[in-house]
Amino acid sequence: MGSMGNKGNRGAGPSDAGLRKAGPRSGTPRVVVVGLASCFGCQLQITNNEKHLLEVLGQFDLTYWQLLSSAPMPEDFDVAIIEGAVTTEESVQVLAELRAKAQVVIALGACANTAGIPGIAAKGFCGRPAEVYSTLPSVCGDLIAPRSVTSVIEVDYQVPCCPIDPSEFLEVLSKAFYGSNRPLTEKTMCGDCKRNETGCFYPQQELCLGLVTRAGCGARCVKVGRPCSGCRGISPEANLASARESVVRYGLAAEGFDAALELFNQTNPLLQGKD
Amino acid sequence: MTNTALHIDHIARVEGHGNVRVVVADGAVDTVEIQVVEPARFFESMVRGRDYSEVTYISSRICGICSASHVVTDLKAIERAFDVQPSARTQAIRELLVYGSYLQNHATHLFVLATPDFVGTPDIFPLAASDPALLNSALEVKALGNELCTRIGGRSVHPITAVVGGFTHEVAPEEYLELAGKMEGMLPFMEKAVDLFNSFPITDISTDGDMLAMVQDGYYPIITADTARFLQADLTFEAGDIGDNIEEYAVDRSAALFARARATGRPYMATALSRINASWKHLSSNAKVAAAKAGLRPPELNPLKNNVAQAVELVDALERCAGICRRLAADGYAGTSEPVPFSVKAGRGVGFTEAPRGALFHDLTIDEAGKVVHASILTPTAQNLANIEADVRKLAEKLVGEGIAEAALKLEVEKLIRAYDPCFSCSVH
Ligand code: SF4
Ligand code: SF4
Ligand code: SF4
Repeated sequence: MGSMGNKGNRGAGPSDAGLRKAGPRSGTPRVVVVGLASCFGCQLQITNNEKHLLEVLGQFDLTYWQLLSSAPMPEDFDVAIIEGAVTTEESVQVLAELRAKAQVVIALGACANTAGIPGIAAKGFCGRPAEVYSTLPSVCGDLIAPRSVTSVIEVDYQVPCCPIDPSEFLEVLSKAFYGSNRPLTEKTMCGDCKRNETGCFYPQQELCLGLVTRAGCGARCVKVGRPCSGCRGISPEANLASARESVVRYGLAAEGFDAALELFNQTNPLLQGKD
Repeated sequence: MTNTALHIDHIARVEGHGNVRVVVADGAVDTVEIQVVEPARFFESMVRGRDYSEVTYISSRICGICSASHVVTDLKAIERAFDVQPSARTQAIRELLVYGSYLQNHATHLFVLATPDFVGTPDIFPLAASDPALLNSALEVKALGNELCTRIGGRSVHPITAVVGGFTHEVAPEEYLELAGKMEGMLPFMEKAVDLFNSFPITDISTDGDMLAMVQDGYYPIITADTARFLQADLTFEAGDIGDNIEEYAVDRSAALFARARATGRPYMATALSRINASWKHLSSNAKVAAAKAGLRPPELNPLKNNVAQAVELVDALERCAGICRRLAADGYAGTSEPVPFSVKAGRGVGFTEAPRGALFHDLTIDEAGKVVHASILTPTAQNLANIEADVRKLAEKLVGEGIAEAALKLEVEKLIRAYDPCFSCSVH
């Protein structure tokens, strides 16, 4: 879920989070990284900051990172970084435990923040397992329709996008350590295109979701010739009704616009209410 | 060790969540089970009903590390369905994009995930203190992979620019030359790294399974052919006939389907080692020398040699991609990378590529409106699971026979599984 219906997230700007204020129990913050239903791309992006990787890792005690180490998950930690969508009852439990133990929870990537691509399956979920398995293997666990981490527990910081931008992650991490409260921008993306002087897709009769998507990625896709597909989530400032009107004004179908929004924002209540 | 039940819950330093269970009773190996407990995301169901143009965006999210491969595989499937022939230039740039993910994947797997097995540490971080030069060079190879994916695809994970028929963006010739220079500069390190991985002691076993890889006359193909071969059975088939040649089957302990060769019923390996066995003579010149020095020649049936095979492929990829970059800069390929015009029509297409971890197939059926009506995705790890299980059994039988202690057996089993470089999250999709 994007801006609406989440459990009172403090976005990227909680005034009361941040380890310095809360006071970590030991000198160096102890961090765990956990992946739910995901492609691991956001965890990978953390390591994709090779130049700064060792430096960054030096700032905190990376107590647990399944992807990189065979050490077991500890009982005690300060910060939980969570990637992926929630697709099982077991994951709901895991989230409750992580929330209870961690002082700071960071939702990493579109999957955790909006249910992302796994969220597409939320529509008509009950019929989907049978489309893939003749009998559902028991190890699949107790499946639920995919939802975002932010719709299940309160999170302190969000790093949006699919995948996350490694530098944005580092910024959020230092906010988490030092308790800064600058929130994510609520603007939509079109202003970035003006600044980038890349022009707009609509006059060429091509859909672009930048109209309603939260700015902050610098219009990454538009810059290399591809319309925005909305991975940063729907902006709190977005006006879906007037966006649909402009889509129609350019000779495109509003249904197509709504269908495109399902890619990363299927579980957003704004879309649920559309029909 | 006469009786033991070895249960490795959550095999570490692999992508995704998998367990392994080995039961030894009365001194003999009884049960060997790989369990894949990764959450099912139902990608095949998710792409159904979506427009063809969205498919690459959806299925690339199967896996962050081989997202470029999923994209190119989908594009091949769609282009087969629509009868689109992209230009030679587009093909070359796609090859670079996929090789970018080879550099990322192989460097991460070898240096970060596998190396701790051989230097006896729980993770890579001690290496930062003991051998910073090695770790830095290793991270540089990985960074070059990211740079290649970013320049070609628009970002390092989940490429943006690759579309049906071409690319929406291409870098300037100088950037290709700069990339070529960097790749050539990294060759000496990678050649030494082949020796390093070859120096790690491994158990002498050979797989009883078959090997599957893409084949092409006179070339080391990763995206440029549609032909696959089971090397042991010497059975060659076209990707479009995948259903007649590969059988997927469900096992209750795994959220991923398993696979075997339909004709022989045998499990098989789809890995870097399979590719090297299939196309050894078409390796680049430096890679061939490095392979020969490391004693890696077909037929090499020890699955633990997959680590060395990946290192050799890195040498090959650096040399090959430098050549492609120089030729792109000199405008040496026919056509441009502008998407070629095409019309949407109903049809079926099977996309086949060699992803970093092995053969990858996307089988798509599209209707006349351009909507996907059926999708079937077969990832390398799903193809490897049955063979991993068989190899773990063989390894355990050998080592238990030699009287190995439980802790040592556990490590050897994990080493073998990690050598396959499995991606459990991909395998479930
Ligand atoms: S947000 Fe995107 S990149 Fe990140 S885990 Fe999810 S699918 Fe992967
Ligand atoms: S609609 Fe898209 S292309 Fe047009 S200005 Fe907005 S973000 Fe840019
Ligand atoms: S342009 Fe849109 S789809 Fe692309 S990265 Fe930004 S928010 Fe995501």
